[in-house]
Amino acid sequence: MPGDKLSRRTFLQGSSALAIFALSEAASAARDENAAFEILTPYEAKELDAIAARIMPTTDTPGAREAGVIYFMDKALGSFMSDELESFRSGLAEFESGISGTFSELSEAGQDKYLRTRDRTHFFNRVRFMTIAGFFGMSSYGGNRGQVGWKLIGFDGHQGAWQPPFGYYDAEYMRGEHDGE
Amino acid sequence: MANDSAVKFANKDPVDFVIIGSGSAGGILAKELSTQGFDVVVFEQGPYRKPRDFTHDEMSVVYLKELQGGGPKVQQQTFRHDKNAVATVPKLDLPAWYAQTVGGTSVHFSGNFWRFRDSDFKERSLLGSIGGTNFADWPISYEELEPYYTRVDWEIGVSGAPGPFDAPRSKPFPMPPIPVKSSGVLLERGAEKLGLHAQAEPLAILSKPHNGRPACINCGYCLDFGCEVGAKSSTLATMIPLAEASGHCEIRSECAVFRLETDANARASEVLYFDADGNTQSQKTKAVIVSANGAETPRLLLSSASGRYPDGIANSSGFVGKNLMCNTHSLAEGTFEHPLNEYKGVQVTRMVHDFYESDPARGYYGGGGIDARPLFVATPIRYANFSSPPGVPNWGAEYKNMLAANFNHQMSIVGSTTSLPLDSNNITPDPTHKDSWGRPSIRMTYSDHDDDLATARFLQDRAMELFDAAGATNSWRYTVGRQTSSAHLLGTCRMGDDPAMSVVDKYHRSHDIRNLFLCDGSSFVSSGRGQPTMTIMALAFRAAEHIAAAARANNI
Repeated sequence: MPGDKLSRRTFLQGSSALAIFALSEAASAARDENAAFEILTPYEAKELDAIAARIMPTTDTPGAREAGVIYFMDKALGSFMSDELESFRSGLAEFESGISGTFSELSEAGQDKYLRTRDRTHFFNRVRFMTIAGFFGMSSYGGNRGQVGWKLIGFDGHQGAWQPPFGYYDAEYMRGEHDGE
Repeated sequence: MANDSAVKFANKDPVDFVIIGSGSAGGILAKELSTQGFDVVVFEQGPYRKPRDFTHDEMSVVYLKELQGGGPKVQQQTFRHDKNAVATVPKLDLPAWYAQTVGGTSVHFSGNFWRFRDSDFKERSLLGSIGGTNFADWPISYEELEPYYTRVDWEIGVSGAPGPFDAPRSKPFPMPPIPVKSSGVLLERGAEKLGLHAQAEPLAILSKPHNGRPACINCGYCLDFGCEVGAKSSTLATMIPLAEASGHCEIRSECAVFRLETDANARASEVLYFDADGNTQSQKTKAVIVSANGAETPRLLLSSASGRYPDGIANSSGFVGKNLMCNTHSLAEGTFEHPLNEYKGVQVTRMVHDFYESDPARGYYGGGGIDARPLFVATPIRYANFSSPPGVPNWGAEYKNMLAANFNHQMSIVGSTTSLPLDSNNITPDPTHKDSWGRPSIRMTYSDHDDDLATARFLQDRAMELFDAAGATNSWRYTVGRQTSSAHLLGTCRMGDDPAMSVVDKYHRSHDIRNLFLCDGSSFVSSGRGQPTMTIMALAFRAAEHIAAAARANNI
């Protein structure tokens, strides 16, 4: 169980979820882009960031980089996923050993080509999972800045309560019932 | 989170009942016995969370298993498909899924509350024996259990409407069904085209205020999450407050029982446990009820082996831990032209029960139900991690575009089936691994019977037909294979009239130890069709009535 469970619980106990998310976003925005990482070395951060940016690339919509996925990874590997830190480090070293320079120095096309040779490894799968978790998790974990992950897929579930109709087909169904069809 | 029950009982003075587990069965037994004036101590190994403690934090709840006491590394549960393999700790998932929190697994379930049918209780007589299995009738009938199903409907709170194949009920549902979702409408549309019959899903979630609790706010966080408004009919929301208000019930949370002791008169006399500080304690008691779930209950009995009971307590039949039934499942996914927005609202609103009964013409035993739901599409991390159609890469721009296009257009059709009871599917204490309290870990040995897999594939074929009939733009299926993880933990201390072939009698009393009762999913003789909790709760109401009567008659 993560050590910050109580604080996250407290985090959600506030009176207005919206206000809290606004605060969280402000905190993320205030973070210096070049801020030192807690756990990752600058080299590790640069390489993991480059991999994450190919898993969830920046297109016409924000990708892993804009979401701050690398900050999620740094936070996670320093706390609730710390038991994976060593396997991340050895996995990264093994991953980079197949390249003459570093992954981050390759062109995007070169990065994709190399990743296709590595995308069935345990290391890749864990980086992929962390990218997804950092992209789609709550902003309080350091990623999903500005909720770019949720906006990408059209998820506004953090609103927390809904009334029917929820979607097109149940709306149509309700209209049919009311029309006596 | 701490123990805040008003009444405290001393460890050295025997209480009337110790109940181990505060979940679907334990919560009901605690309320029933304490409100009749019996002094009850309930042991719950998890913390005492209240509705305000439940969050929508997917990372913590789904991936760090906050409500399940932590993930595989903490639990150290082990798994293997057969006894010739050495069981290992899986990397990502827990073999036995259950919540460790006051209210137990009823806190994080999705609330699908199917009743069994008459046939479920006597299928062995109806269909004959099945070689190599322990297929058997129950010692009770639907008719005997019906009044208690009705009590669950009204006292726990079930929303629904009668369906064409339902077993007879003595009283209508207390509340209308939860509003239908797009997934339910599409299932119904497909079913009509195929000549099948979709019906409203009975749900342990309130569609209207009931018994002082509010109606569901359709937040979408049912599967694996606790309900922050108390609309989900967990025992935390329904029974535990009444038990505590009786003044006769102490909920001892964060206290993990590791051993039952018996005395020279073959009676359960005390319960050994680790308290919240990790210290060993002992509670004396006049009687013990184990409602710890189909994995924890047999582990405790087998871990309590002694000179008197070298094979574990209550195990003269040798059946403790055996006959584990997990219900086999199938999964198919489909996308549609218009938005479904399945992340809003409950999981299931419509189901199809046309294939519930076993049909010899299929060539194998089994039956099941089909339902429509978001499943993994309900929350974004799980959606992105698991829900891709085949042929789409699982990273890169194409993957990202697919995620954006499908999230609000995708749904699942799930098939849930019977499981046959086998000696070879079981729960045992692991010989080497220990859990976080130092108890021998739960070891699950499980391989779905071929008939169970065939039934799951049959239902998956029907699911694909339903997607076509409903007009899906794309649909795909996940290969049905042997399970390695289950939230349904049934049959491991089965009930029966014959002490040589069962662990408890029809009133949940151990055949071997008169003041020991076992009541939870472990009591099941057959598996039903994949939604067991309604029956676990009905059994608990029924057991409580008989246990209280026996206690009043000084017959425990």
